[in-house]
Amino acid sequence: MNDERKIRVLMAKPGLDGHDRGAKVIALGLRDEGMETIYTGLRQTPEQIVRAAIQEDVDVIGLSCLSGAHKYLFPRVVELLKEQAIEDILVIGGGNIPKEDIPFLKEKGVSEIFTPGTMVGEIADYVRKNAKTRGHQSVASE
Amino acid sequence: MSSDIEKVKKRKQEWEEKVLKPALEGFGLKESPTKSYTPADTEGFDFLSKVGFPGEYPFTAGIYAAQPGMPAPRVGRATAQRRGRPAGPRLVRAAGYSGYGTAEDTRDYYKEMQKRGDRGGPNLAFDLPTQCGYDSDNPMIRGDVGKVGVTVDTLRDFEIIYEPFQGETELDRIASNFTINAPANILIAMYFALAEKRGIPLDKLRATPQNDILKEFIARGTYIFPPRPSMRMFRDSMVFFNKYCPRINITSAGGYHIRGAGATREQDLAFSMAILIAYLQEGVNAGLDVDSFAPRFTINQFGGSMEMFKEIAFHRASRRMYARIVKEKFGAKSQRSMLLRGGRMGAQIGCENTTVQRPLNNLTRSVIGAVASALSGGEGTAYPPYDEPLVMGRGLESSQLARDATRIVHYEAKLGEVRDPLAGSYYIESLTDEIEEAARKELDKIEAMGGAVAAIENGYMQREVAKSAHARQKRIESGEDLMVGVNCFVGEDELELEINHLVPHVYDPVRRDQAEEKQIKNLTELKKSRDNRAVAQLLKKLKTKAKKEEENLIPHFIECAKAYVSEQEMCDVLREVFGEYEPVSL
Repeated sequence: MNDERKIRVLMAKPGLDGHDRGAKVIALGLRDEGMETIYTGLRQTPEQIVRAAIQEDVDVIGLSCLSGAHKYLFPRVVELLKEQAIEDILVIGGGNIPKEDIPFLKEKGVSEIFTPGTMVGEIADYVRKNAKTRGHQSVASE
Repeated sequence: MSSDIEKVKKRKQEWEEKVLKPALEGFGLKESPTKSYTPADTEGFDFLSKVGFPGEYPFTAGIYAAQPGMPAPRVGRATAQRRGRPAGPRLVRAAGYSGYGTAEDTRDYYKEMQKRGDRGGPNLAFDLPTQCGYDSDNPMIRGDVGKVGVTVDTLRDFEIIYEPFQGETELDRIASNFTINAPANILIAMYFALAEKRGIPLDKLRATPQNDILKEFIARGTYIFPPRPSMRMFRDSMVFFNKYCPRINITSAGGYHIRGAGATREQDLAFSMAILIAYLQEGVNAGLDVDSFAPRFTINQFGGSMEMFKEIAFHRASRRMYARIVKEKFGAKSQRSMLLRGGRMGAQIGCENTTVQRPLNNLTRSVIGAVASALSGGEGTAYPPYDEPLVMGRGLESSQLARDATRIVHYEAKLGEVRDPLAGSYYIESLTDEIEEAARKELDKIEAMGGAVAAIENGYMQREVAKSAHARQKRIESGEDLMVGVNCFVGEDELELEINHLVPHVYDPVRRDQAEEKQIKNLTELKKSRDNRAVAQLLKKLKTKAKKEEENLIPHFIECAKAYVSEQEMCDVLREVFGEYEPVSL
């Protein structure tokens, strides 16, 4: 079935960190890659992020944090999704996340962490491969 | 003169035909990978009006006649190992940017640093809840307490942080820096309240709050109120410091955050100048003589890129542009008003150009920055330490090597011996003009919109910076811009060097993790033990005063601070009156 729906991504800044160059660059970059992106703006609580994701009917949540609060904030988003029994939204994260925190975050249900220096193209490939377009089967890019 | 220029132009053409072209053909190139400059590129160059002498208008060659030197080297083994007070005048500068966890954690850190010989005042990093006007017990901000700096809710926290600063390091003998913007007036009022309790008059205090709120809307993002009421807060501090605190700098404004957020060199310069103009104008509108307050504007850091010559030219252009603005637009008479004055002012590479890949390469990068700094009129500072992007906390070894790089640039390479050594270079002079002109054009555009405040309210600056960041990322992805170890020279032939800290960091990670819980407990107890009826009355009074635009709120913040009214309690009243900033969409 030829599905026209584009992958929808919510780029979110949880917590109080105001460094959003990365979040904006990825939001704009994924748009170049043919996805629909929504940027939440700064200072979103995990609750607000999950609410926005549901309202916007997104396939992916991208979390960006550079303040060191990722160990609390990222798992909290996943937890809230689970509470709402939402299992088809892919949660990915980025920022200056120390390497040793990555296994912990993955264990908590963040599916991938992208650290500084990652190309947007690489993130786009990952998303295309792993996102389930909600209610539809995603169109494989190969 | 002009016939000489004609001769040069003609000769250059001949050289391009007869020498360059065959050489390029020999290499199989269509275009030359290198450029060369001649006197024709600086035609009509007037040294006195464009450059002048160091410490003289227009300050292109540097803001000081002679650069205040590095601390005298302590020669010899025994003395070199003693981290005592350097020879010369007593050090009143603030120490390195620091602070984490609770007030107790930060107090203990400073005690430890004093044991190691530090005598400077604290250069306080506040956590994000403090920077954004939230108390630690607010459930909305869980996860951020004590992370990127120390958490401050009330005067009690200031009392604890400053416990080690007594006697030889009493408040009137040290300088403090506060990296605080939106709630700057509240935090500094807590410091004033502390000074009053210790019996130290305000005019003896030395401090520099960052107090550069406008850039927070473009970069860094710790805004609270909309731009206009934020400017009123700025006015209040400017007027109050002017009257009562002659040794407190009004602002430590900086363009490097804007560059770090993605701005181009020209945008960085234009936006920073537009912001400084808005601050100066605010002072003039408040009825102050520009020469009475402009000398206490300082600059944090400016610029930031790996393109060394362009950064050097950028710094020369920025000093000249600012001096011209303050003199021509504001009619300043005192030369001290016209200085872009700042700590280690000078060119630098910008933290955004450091990489997590093969992090030791950042030392190489920061050395290039140090050379640029020395050649641009700065102190030759190597910055940042190589582990900056790794979020492990700057290690003692990386900080040692950064300090050593600065010393090597100064004492071994002797780059500090000549002021503005590139003055008169055809390339640097034409580049300096070019950068100033491009920034001037952009600045005119902003002024036509109504200045920095208007260009933030309508989202122009924010959107332009995001566009530039996006464009840079595209250049990195296409390979047009190269970053070694990131988008080139990666793969099996390369060794992916990693680093570990050999010396443990002075911050205790366990204490940092426990800070949130501890601070919530501290604050809950404090809120129970204070006179809450007085608190309610003070907050009511604050609301009445905040509604009057002409009212200076700082004296009232001091009263609130003394009664242990919390930061968020004060901010919430202001949120009600001023509203909160709503960011523009992408």
